[in-house]
Amino acid sequence: MKKKMPRGYGLYIGLAAMLVAGLITLLVLGPRWLATVPDEAQPISTPEAEARKIRARIFYVDEQGTGLQGVEQEVLFGEGTAEQARRIVEAQIAPAPEGRVSAIPAGTKLRTLFFTKAGEVYVDLSADVQTNHPGGSTNETLTVYALVSALTSNLPAATSVQILVDGKEVDTLAGHLDLRRPIEQDLKWVTN
Amino acid sequence: MRTRRLTHAALGLVLLALVYGPSKSGRDVVLAQGGPITVLARDGRRTLPTIELQGHQMVGLDDLASLFQLQVREDAAARAITATYKSQTIVLTPEQALVSSSGRLVSLPAPLTRRNNRWLVPVEFISRALAPIYDVRLDLRPASRLLVVGDLRVPRVTAQYDDGPSLLRVTLETTPRATATVAQEQGRLLVRVDADALDAALPAPPPQQFLTGVRVVDPNTIQLDLGPRFSTFRASPPVSSGAAAVVTIELVGAAVDTSSANVPGAPVAPTAPVAPGSTGSPVAPIAPGTALPVFGGATRPTIRTIVIDPGHGGEESGVKGAGGALEKDVALAVARRLKGAIEGRLGMRVLLTREDGNRVDADGRAAIANNNKADLFISLHANGSPRPSLRGAVIYTLSLDRVGEDARRQSQADRAVLQVFGGGAREVGLVEWELAQAAHLDGSNAFAGIVDQKLRTTAGLPTVTLQRAPMRNLAGTNMPAVLIEMGYLSNAEEEKLLTSSEFQNGIALALTEAVAAFRDHVEQEPQPPAAP
Repeated sequence: MKKKMPRGYGLYIGLAAMLVAGLITLLVLGPRWLATVPDEAQPISTPEAEARKIRARIFYVDEQGTGLQGVEQEVLFGEGTAEQARRIVEAQIAPAPEGRVSAIPAGTKLRTLFFTKAGEVYVDLSADVQTNHPGGSTNETLTVYALVSALTSNLPAATSVQILVDGKEVDTLAGHLDLRRPIEQDLKWVTN
Repeated sequence: MRTRRLTHAALGLVLLALVYGPSKSGRDVVLAQGGPITVLARDGRRTLPTIELQGHQMVGLDDLASLFQLQVREDAAARAITATYKSQTIVLTPEQALVSSSGRLVSLPAPLTRRNNRWLVPVEFISRALAPIYDVRLDLRPASRLLVVGDLRVPRVTAQYDDGPSLLRVTLETTPRATATVAQEQGRLLVRVDADALDAALPAPPPQQFLTGVRVVDPNTIQLDLGPRFSTFRASPPVSSGAAAVVTIELVGAAVDTSSANVPGAPVAPTAPVAPGSTGSPVAPIAPGTALPVFGGATRPTIRTIVIDPGHGGEESGVKGAGGALEKDVALAVARRLKGAIEGRLGMRVLLTREDGNRVDADGRAAIANNNKADLFISLHANGSPRPSLRGAVIYTLSLDRVGEDARRQSQADRAVLQVFGGGAREVGLVEWELAQAAHLDGSNAFAGIVDQKLRTTAGLPTVTLQRAPMRNLAGTNMPAVLIEMGYLSNAEEEKLLTSSEFQNGIALALTEAVAAFRDHVEQEPQPPAAP
């Protein structure tokens, strides 16, 4: 004769099964929850921080094609001078907005950027700045002084700009302007 | 503590052995691959081997350490190499082109590289990283492969020959200015320059029978080997020509009346023929302030040699027009026409920096002009703009940044002559080789103004702009120099013009007239006083 299970045992078994299922769920999904918590806690990734912007002058080719026109636009905020310089260069080398012409060859990327104590800004660009350059002294002058003007006119700490390509010093970008030393600001190339 | 010191010492020795003890066979291979740099110092000459690595001239840190008393250490933990001179340190990182020289960040054209158990750095390391911390002057002259250590007087000397039916004129130019004496002995003339050593670029003389060869025989002496037609010589005193001094020596044949060389107060030359092989006593030092009667105008400032520089070349095409025209081809075509026009109309010597489609680097272009003691440098280009409507010519001269302005001031200081102990005089201050143009900006701007006018009137160009910019090809030229963008290949109409014979001839004619006008300008300028 089958021994009858005492009343209430079914309830205990059900509770135990729920506990085991809960533990399994915690073990499988738990790490993901744990991993996401610190990221969410970082203030830099909050929408407010990402949206923080400053106004800066970015330089485009003027109507005549012989000089640069400074246009005030929003640029991402950067913590510290070097980080802000990086944000400005990124805005300068980005494709030009509608109705503007960029002096920077398409595809140019910023590799690294750093400041020296003397205020020289080393801007290390990808090789696209040379390989995609259309040539001509006017084009080359506008490319170089767009970068120099963007940094020196927006950042008082920046006194001159040394352009590097793929981490190395270059003679010129396209056979004309001497890039062996840092280039100083020259406002004659800016027409406004 | 003692054990720790010993461990550090042992580690140091191992590292030093790694740095200083490359295998002999590997080192020989390295030496064989590059031409050495001659190091000139008070205590003599040494050689600094170089190796070419991916287009860069490299030198061994170990060689620099022994030459300049550097303590080189490898910090494996920090993955850095330190080179210490007295209390100042240069920090290098393998495969990085940036170094810290006593806390100042310096960029090099090539990274620190390990080859055959040696650390190699580009030669520019010497002038950019080492020179700022070294306590005596280091003057690297890449074109002549010289490294001058300390305040030695090492003027650059160039030679030019003008071959006539009865004589050969040898013109020696020293930059910066230096006094010189000429003496004849045993079938040779010896030109002794008042300098510690010479940075000489002496081309072989043309085929003739007055002179068989020219070479440097002592640190400061140039020897002219005399040929069978030589009878006697006349030498001018040094005449100032800008920052340079020019000495003219005429080797005269027996048939020429040399009595005109006997000018009172000009003890510069023997008047009686000296038989080849005879032992002539040295001639007295050249007296300043006396001109040659026969060729009195020969050393007057003028335009004798012009170097035309067709821009770009080789894989570097420059601007490409919408119709397919390449800047490098347009520049070469106009350069050839201009060379013919100047030679034919003005009788000047004209050289091109490239005769074909090959590429010459910027230093090579300047070296051709400087070594041939050109009086004028014209770089020809065609322009490009993001605005296709833009047209017109642009004439560039060099603009100077703060470093360049310093070089210019220094070049002006070069004109000062200081009396030195023991009598005589010497000039002080040197312009950096890389900024040689700084001393000639007035001439360059004067020529640019003339070109502007001639392009408008003779070539009929409606738009011509004068500009100043830090142009790489102009920086190292030691004479008046301009870069001319003849028009925009990015403009369809100008592309057609630039490739047409008519337009190219018009540009060549305008520039020939500009050269003639500039020659007149130079010849009419008041001459600066000669160096004593």
